[in-house]
Amino acid sequence: MNELNQLAVTDEMMLDEREQIIDQLMHEYSDDILHLVYTYVKNRATAEDLTQEIFIKCYERLNQFNGQATIKTWLYRIASNHCKDYLRSWYYRKITLSNKLLDYIPSKSKQVEEEVITNSEENRLTNAVMNLPLKYREVVFLHYYEELSLIEISKITTVNINTIKTRLKRAKELLKDKIIEEV
Amino acid sequence: MNDPFMNLKSSMKKSVFKDLSFSNERKNAVREAIRANQQSQPHNWNIETIIAILESVQHESKDGYNISIQLFQKNERTFQKNEGQLYTLLHLLENKEIITSNWINKKKYYSLNSKGKKYLATYKQDTSKQELSLKHLIEEAAL
Repeated sequence: MNELNQLAVTDEMMLDEREQIIDQLMHEYSDDILHLVYTYVKNRATAEDLTQEIFIKCYERLNQFNGQATIKTWLYRIASNHCKDYLRSWYYRKITLSNKLLDYIPSKSKQVEEEVITNSEENRLTNAVMNLPLKYREVVFLHYYEELSLIEISKITTVNINTIKTRLKRAKELLKDKIIEEV
Repeated sequence: MNDPFMNLKSSMKKSVFKDLSFSNERKNAVREAIRANQQSQPHNWNIETIIAILESVQHESKDGYNISIQLFQKNERTFQKNEGQLYTLLHLLENKEIITSNWINKKKYYSLNSKGKKYLATYKQDTSKQELSLKHLIEEAAL
């Protein structure tokens, strides 16, 4: 009987532990995850909402984490999948995209959001990357911003490592074309 | 050849990610959602229901449908018109390693684990105390 009670106690501790793990993950990685999400969805408010959902999802799935990868890789993978789900969702395709179309209709009082367009070197590089197609943007960001190894990126995106190499190479070419175009 | 992406990190930090940080309010919102989740989740399974399930697979492994029939015969009506819940509970018990399962001919057959056998044995020995700790376990299992 003692053994059973003990089991119940450890289970209770598990709950607390899970909350603590999420707290720690948020402490360590929430900004990185938020930035990752932003590169997918390109909108600050949406990125914050999705990041919030990602950490809740992690909490719910924590018992499915089997230690095959590091918890960081696991977290990134959930984040990446969550973003892709969002981009595929009905809401995004129907509502957000049609709102976006409105932006292209010229209006006199055009509110330029936050991002002040200056022609600095930094902005040019950032904009160029943000305008890359998703599959390139994703690997470039994970590799150069989050500074993850190709193996880690492969685990997060479930894309073969050689494909990732090719995409990085292709991304460089695309970027060069862009820069030449601008000059 | 220098890498065109070399300065990407500092560039992005100075531009799109400037002041973009996961705020404390957002973190608290996550914590609140987690707590709400903890409170709403524990499903109060009846101890008798669980014992009835354990007993039904005690001697031979059974699939979900046959378990439900046996429960019905025992006059255990918890899952009547709510059969899906049975599978939820079976899944929880499986996660807790109280029962194990086997796929045979596209059907999942459940049987008692050693842990499950122990629960059942102790339950029969000593009903009152066991009730407490099993109940505890089930509340946890629901998470």
